[in-house]
Amino acid sequence: MIVTMTDVVKRYKNQTALDHLNLTVKQGEVIGLLGPNGAGKSTSIRVLTGLTNADAGKVTLFGADKLGNDAKRRIGTVPQDLALYETLSARDNIEYFGKLYGVHGSMLKSRVDETLEILGLSDVANKAPKKFSGGMKRRLNIGCAIIHKPELLILDEPTVGIDPQSRNHILDFVTNINKQGTTVLYTSHYMEEVERVCSRVCIMDEGRVIADGGVAELTRSVIFEETVTLEVKEPAPSLPESIKKVQGVLHCDVQNRIVTVTSTAASGNIARILEIAAPYVILGVSAKKATLEDAFLALTGKKLRDGEGDSL
Amino acid sequence: MRGMRDFLTVFKNSFKYCWSDRMGIVMLLAFPILIIFVLGNALSGYISPEYDFEEGEKIGIAVISETNSEHNALGTFLKEINIINVIYTDNLTALELLEDGEVNIIVGTDLSVTRPPVGNLSTQIAMSVVDSYSQISAAMETAIKNGENPAELMPLIESNISVVESPLGNRVPGAIDYYAVTMLVMILMFAGTNGLNVFEKGLFSQTGARTLTTPVSKPALIGGLLAAATVTAYIQGMITFLFSWAVYGVYWGERIHLVLLTLFGVTLFSQVFAIFMILLLKSPNAAMGGMQCIIWVMTFVAGGYVKIDFGEMNNVFQYSPNSLAHTVIFGSIFGGNETKMMSDLALLFVYSAVLFILAFLLGKRRISK
Repeated sequence: MIVTMTDVVKRYKNQTALDHLNLTVKQGEVIGLLGPNGAGKSTSIRVLTGLTNADAGKVTLFGADKLGNDAKRRIGTVPQDLALYETLSARDNIEYFGKLYGVHGSMLKSRVDETLEILGLSDVANKAPKKFSGGMKRRLNIGCAIIHKPELLILDEPTVGIDPQSRNHILDFVTNINKQGTTVLYTSHYMEEVERVCSRVCIMDEGRVIADGGVAELTRSVIFEETVTLEVKEPAPSLPESIKKVQGVLHCDVQNRIVTVTSTAASGNIARILEIAAPYVILGVSAKKATLEDAFLALTGKKLRDGEGDSL
Repeated sequence: MRGMRDFLTVFKNSFKYCWSDRMGIVMLLAFPILIIFVLGNALSGYISPEYDFEEGEKIGIAVISETNSEHNALGTFLKEINIINVIYTDNLTALELLEDGEVNIIVGTDLSVTRPPVGNLSTQIAMSVVDSYSQISAAMETAIKNGENPAELMPLIESNISVVESPLGNRVPGAIDYYAVTMLVMILMFAGTNGLNVFEKGLFSQTGARTLTTPVSKPALIGGLLAAATVTAYIQGMITFLFSWAVYGVYWGERIHLVLLTLFGVTLFSQVFAIFMILLLKSPNAAMGGMQCIIWVMTFVAGGYVKIDFGEMNNVFQYSPNSLAHTVIFGSIFGGNETKMMSDLALLFVYSAVLFILAFLLGKRRISK
């Protein structure tokens, strides 16, 4: 394990940000932290990176109980807000953080060039980020965290407020850097991002991890039903009864020409249902499979994108 | 080794950051040059007309007259200086003369000096002269106690008189000579508010938080930020200093090194004060407000731009950083008491050292926790 958080508690005045949080990060994985506003995602990161102390519990990073300089050198942190020197050039920004992480001399120069190249910022290396677009600033924000090739990269909502092209660039980058061996801890409000890049997801709510697993595994464990909707030309009265006999089907309703079939999740019965309906001339088919968003809603009772930012 | 490397990294980056905002830099440099010009020329007559030092006028010093041999000696000393007009009088009359602007200071029987709440160049020269006398008097007393011949101190006396008179011999000092010193000190004190931006960016902003997630040590970080802010402010002060000397013809005396050291002391104090305030109040805005209030009070009281008599508190204010710097700079130009000048200069650096230690202790507890 690279990170182990055991029964971690953090309070801000009367508010409990982390309530006996238990979280582990394994080497080589991309773990997504999902949670509504105030779930404690950012506080978890602040505790991990030493920006705030936990009131109780134990945090272990790279096997050490204390976040020393050795552990800090092995971590790269991309904060939720832009953390740049806006009037210095992109190169200056990356160089500065590189030096603070202990990269110097010719290695620093080559790493800066490499980082700028990876993030598509080589052409604007000597320009100040105050003139950059939101997406370019976000990429530079990441660049300052990867200059020292960290073993663990923590990204706190790295794609907030940027264009789809930059978002794709960042998501591809996360996938690539993980393939090169970097472990990634990724928080986001965007479910599709997490589904796309994360191998494991932890859903947080009210300072705790309430579900932990792969995307499919989580969905299966929480969502028990899936729905197939058919549009048929001339549905016979006997059709619902025939469909109900198919294994896994829970309900079947017909209204006008629309047949709605509800089955247990992952029952794999769509082919059989289509076979039964085929004689009545199928005009259209749609299947709604359970998503991570459904799992999230079922677990927390909250929509994920009910606001921007995460104050805790 | 690692700490020094981090210190230099933070210093270089923050220094570069300070100078990367070109419009801000132009404003920083233009403002002090302009304010010295405006106060020293166009507005000088409106600010303290009753204390203007004009050609042909003499600096009035009221000496409380009693049968006291020391005051005879003081009178003898003062009469040697052409531009000084000595008036022997009683305490009440002396206060009336001071109120009316007929004299610039009153010297009491114990050589204590009473100055008007509103200061100017004449007051500073008069105070330097009396300071100088105190120094000579003390030296003579020591010489007599040690069985030495007091006459051997004559070169010292002559030297002090010549220091007082030499700048005045070339031309009549004007308001600009006074305001160049007081404004430069004020500007360097206010440079601390610019330093606040450096500390805010480097410690408390998102960028500061990111910096704290790196392996940089807090002493190297705080030290690097402080050094960058101090050097930036000092360069700003030096540009103003050179401009006032080369373009306005302000007289800075013969002991430039002492003036520059004092200006450095003020610069260092203002930056340490800034970092102390931001760590104490944990909010850049609150620190900015607090600093503005304190610096304005110190500037106006020590510089004497407004007529506020704080009574007994006037004595406390002479230990304000502005006042200490004025004593040393005017003393170095017009021959003040060497011992007092050195102790005031040392006190300025002691203030910075004490504040830095307090800031460091606060920083250990308060940065990002």
